[in-house]
Amino acid sequence: MRKLRDGMRFAVENVRKTFPGVIALDGVSLDIRPGEVHALVGENGAGKSTLIKIVTGLYRPDEGRLTIDGREVRFASAREAIAAGVSAVHQERNLIPRFSVGENIMIERPPTRRGLIDYRSVHAQARRFLDMIDPSIDTRTEVRRLSVAQMQIVEIAKALSFEAGLLLLDEPTASISGHEAEELFAVLRRLKDEGKAILFVSHKLEEVLALSDRVTALRDGKVAIAGEPIGRMDRGRIVSAMIGREERVADIGARDLSGEPVLEATAIATSLGHRNVSLTLHKGEILGLYGLVGAGRTELARALIGDARITAGVLRLKGSPVSIDNVSQAIRKLGIGYISEDRKAEGLILAHPVRSNVAITVWRRIMSRVGLLWRRREIETAEPLARKLEIRTPSLEQTVGKLSGGNQQKVSIAKWLAAGVEILIIDEPTVGIDIKTKTAIHELIAEITRGGVSVLLISSDMPEMITLADRILVMRNFSIAGLIENNRRYEPMSREIMSLIHGVAAGEDADAMREAANG
Amino acid sequence: MTVARHLMAKEWSALGASILAGLVVLSLMSPAFLTEFNLYVMLRSFCVVLVVAFAQMLTLGVGQLNLSIGALGGLVAIAVGGVMEKLGFPIGLAVVLGLLIGAGGGLANGLLTVRTGINGFIITLATASVFAGINLGVTRSIPFYNLPPAFVAFGTERFFAVPYLLAPPLVVAAALGFFLARTVPGRYLLAVGGNPQAAELSGIPRDRTIVFAHTLSGLLAAVAAILAVAQLGSAQPTIGADWLIISFAAPIIGGAALTGGHISVAATSLAVVLIVLIQNGMVLAKVDPYWVQFLLGALILAAVGLNRLRAVHAETA
Amino acid sequence: MTRSVPAGVESFRSWLLEQSNLLSLAAIVGLLWAVFTALAPGFVSSFNLFAISRSVAIDIVIAFSTMVVLATGGMNLAIGSIGVCSVMLVGYLMQAHGLPVPLALAAGLVLGALLGFANGATIVLTGVNSFIITLASASLFAGGMLILTKATIYNGIPREIASFGRMRWGFVSPLLLIALAIGAWLLVLFRYTALGREILASGANPRAAELSGVPVGRVTVIVHALSGLLAASAGLMVMTWLGAAMPSVGQDWLLPSFLAPVLGGTLLAGGMVSVVGTVLGALLVTTIRSGLLILQVGNFWLQLFLGLVLLVAVMLDRYRGLYAERRGLERSP
Repeated sequence: MRKLRDGMRFAVENVRKTFPGVIALDGVSLDIRPGEVHALVGENGAGKSTLIKIVTGLYRPDEGRLTIDGREVRFASAREAIAAGVSAVHQERNLIPRFSVGENIMIERPPTRRGLIDYRSVHAQARRFLDMIDPSIDTRTEVRRLSVAQMQIVEIAKALSFEAGLLLLDEPTASISGHEAEELFAVLRRLKDEGKAILFVSHKLEEVLALSDRVTALRDGKVAIAGEPIGRMDRGRIVSAMIGREERVADIGARDLSGEPVLEATAIATSLGHRNVSLTLHKGEILGLYGLVGAGRTELARALIGDARITAGVLRLKGSPVSIDNVSQAIRKLGIGYISEDRKAEGLILAHPVRSNVAITVWRRIMSRVGLLWRRREIETAEPLARKLEIRTPSLEQTVGKLSGGNQQKVSIAKWLAAGVEILIIDEPTVGIDIKTKTAIHELIAEITRGGVSVLLISSDMPEMITLADRILVMRNFSIAGLIENNRRYEPMSREIMSLIHGVAAGEDADAMREAANG
Repeated sequence: MTVARHLMAKEWSALGASILAGLVVLSLMSPAFLTEFNLYVMLRSFCVVLVVAFAQMLTLGVGQLNLSIGALGGLVAIAVGGVMEKLGFPIGLAVVLGLLIGAGGGLANGLLTVRTGINGFIITLATASVFAGINLGVTRSIPFYNLPPAFVAFGTERFFAVPYLLAPPLVVAAALGFFLARTVPGRYLLAVGGNPQAAELSGIPRDRTIVFAHTLSGLLAAVAAILAVAQLGSAQPTIGADWLIISFAAPIIGGAALTGGHISVAATSLAVVLIVLIQNGMVLAKVDPYWVQFLLGALILAAVGLNRLRAVHAETA
Repeated sequence: MTRSVPAGVESFRSWLLEQSNLLSLAAIVGLLWAVFTALAPGFVSSFNLFAISRSVAIDIVIAFSTMVVLATGGMNLAIGSIGVCSVMLVGYLMQAHGLPVPLALAAGLVLGALLGFANGATIVLTGVNSFIITLASASLFAGGMLILTKATIYNGIPREIASFGRMRWGFVSPLLLIALAIGAWLLVLFRYTALGREILASGANPRAAELSGVPVGRVTVIVHALSGLLAASAGLMVMTWLGAAMPSVGQDWLLPSFLAPVLGGTLLAGGMVSVVGTVLGALLVTTIRSGLLILQVGNFWLQLFLGLVLLVAVMLDRYRGLYAERRGLERSP
């Protein structure tokens, strides 16, 4: 049986790392003590992920060194970092779906007897690690049958099984609900009290403030905040350190809320499991859709663009009932567009130039009668939009994959403006976009609604929601929990939203208990 | 969950039912079916196909595929036959040499795939051509007929209905099942197929595991080739030429996912039983041998469709 | 929007980098021609040039048949089976029913497109990998053809077919012009039509294309039907050469069908095709085949050489890709 290692003091000292033409890290130091949660924050491109890769043994620093309890260490691979007691829970799920929980936890060195895997002791040992954090998961369950949050617990148990002294969590709450995040934090606090060193990487500053003891911020490959106690920090100070100046709140201008209804859903149900969803979107309005992950917001968007079936209820477009059969019909006939939260997989064709990515929605409209599509006509479509949206690109022929996240998002918006949609569903518009550009995207969204486009905004970013939305629909469990008129004052608004979600969450528990009681 | 649904959820349940139905129909239809000799014939044709299916199954397990199994098998067959006929190698030495060539060919596939990072499809398409080219260049399509009598006898002799030839495939099946379920390299192989990134970040040597799977696949192709030489009694350069479709058919009918990590020795074996049963039925019914090819294609499509239905069923349930 | 000033120079340089694959491929072909001519002057005899033109025509069309499917990131292992089905249908219609040649040929092409359509529809409906579906349908089609024809050879077909196969325009067979015309048409399709661009978009990122209004399922079906049509065309070209409809047509198409597009720089992952590269790739395949033949190395070694060429090509491509990546990184900041 393996023993649990005590927490350790892990330090990164004056590390420098360059890639051809880029200085990713420049004299960065970071020290993590046993029994603390140390937060690491920074914008995209600040060097966060390079630092994570150095700590976990995937990269080697050009200069500087790593120490554990004062002794220098060098990692030639992820394997060596693990052996030295550094374990990471990465952003992507890193479990084998068809293996049992127990085997996943013990995967790197399963206990063997005479060279053969001894499953009884696999499960017994896995049980021990799992019991430290969540005794309710059965080690014999196949991982593919677990919820995302349970998988995360399994990953932490797996990291512990590597005798981790330092536990690194990279954006652990990216795909779990707020309630589940609370439970995760309770686990992390307990591990901290047991003396583990924990490095917590997150872009959610609310979580950083709530969970960590100290914080280090990176900006442009340099340290901007060096392990300051969290007590001396607040959101504003962290943000200005990260972006190098004060955060500017988007100026969204005057809102005109007198538009006619353009999209009305009355008690619709979908093949994805929505029940009794009603909403009204007015011309030129930004209607927010807030809720926890898994509340069914993205799925509702998919139904509204014809990517999933609407099975009951009535959908009206400018007053007349419509049915939406497929995506191209939604775009061409009904003028509804959708910007996915996953730009890379669902939004843009990264390997194709800006020109094609903007014009793709109108190819059939701008082609000649025999189906020919001239580059000139694509440029005529893309050029004015690129100028209007201030897309920063060396030319329209640049492949989209080489643009920054913010400019990619502008290309996404441009293609829908090109299509001339009247309704635009925008899912998490600023995920993965740095704070400086975020403001510009917010102003751009407000700007297009003044041009008559109606926006259905899906966001998990509370400040973003309260800045942008005219009204906020709160969703839970694939139905609507309530509607709030937004007065754009953060404190009362966020309290009102949370109480809606919270009240709802209590109801869910009651539902679950009733179900359990009925067997 | 009802019993019926539980059975439905098992990949091999439909296979088992089809085999039972086939056995019943064939024994009612043809009095020749249950004779000792016919059973011997069936078991004998089962041997090579089973090992060929395993060779592909291993690469599928790690999320790869191997188009070169047949070509490598052909090369091993003529090498084994050639050294026995022309150079007078003893049987044991010739077999070892054949196995080494097979493993070496597989190793080359694995190393090329991992080092270049190119799709295994293209790599094994190319190496298949190389192996087949060497085979044809060396033999000029002329088989080796003069093999040691003991070797040929092994391919034809039997104990009642059980051919001696059946022994190696059964040993391979048992060893493989054990290897995949109970040994660390076996689990690594399935882990890499199930989620390559995860395996790597858990400290499993991903590239080495892929190379290992390809090497084993080559080794099994060699086993199949040697069995085929014994079965035919001569080393034909054409051995392996028709293995491609069957190598994929059996694991896929047995439910292996092309995305990797999900293979089953039992289900693949049952699929081979079904294929052999169909072939035998065709012979007994005296229909065109071309029907076998046609039905094999139809069977893969049916299996794929069934898997799809099951997936849809599982999603809605 | 900002434009860097020396855009012309920059774009010329990137054009050169993009075309480096084609240029080096052309150089290799040229070199091989020089070598073969030096070793065996018969290589450039008018008879051999004619033979090369005829066989390169067929290689080109076979390669196109795979290339169009590769554009969507799929593959079609059934092209040989589709080709032989068309050939046998045409042979049967002409010999057994005396159908006029143009009608019979049209029927063969329609059958090819239909079989391809069946592939595409099955792939879209089941959502299963095109590798598996076309592997199975290859067996299904060829088996069905053999059951129906009992592997008969139709050699009583009209003489015009064979004499067209022997026809010479100068040094070249008219088949080559047909192949190049198809190539020109594909070039226009992929570069200048909405359909072609939709095919490439579906290959590069199916989900993003779907959500941008591209009917990806329909595009997949169209592409497979097109692939079937091209496979049938290649089969019929082989038939003019043989002067008969034989059930052995198409058996050795798999390797060259992938070899030429991959050599020419078409991505297996989809989203990018090179028509010119595919033609050059096919020319390389034919050159090697013809050269080995004329040097009397023997057909037996041909497969070995083709396999090695493919291996070397993919490895070179890999290192070139790494090099370009490094260059790209240097320029980006």
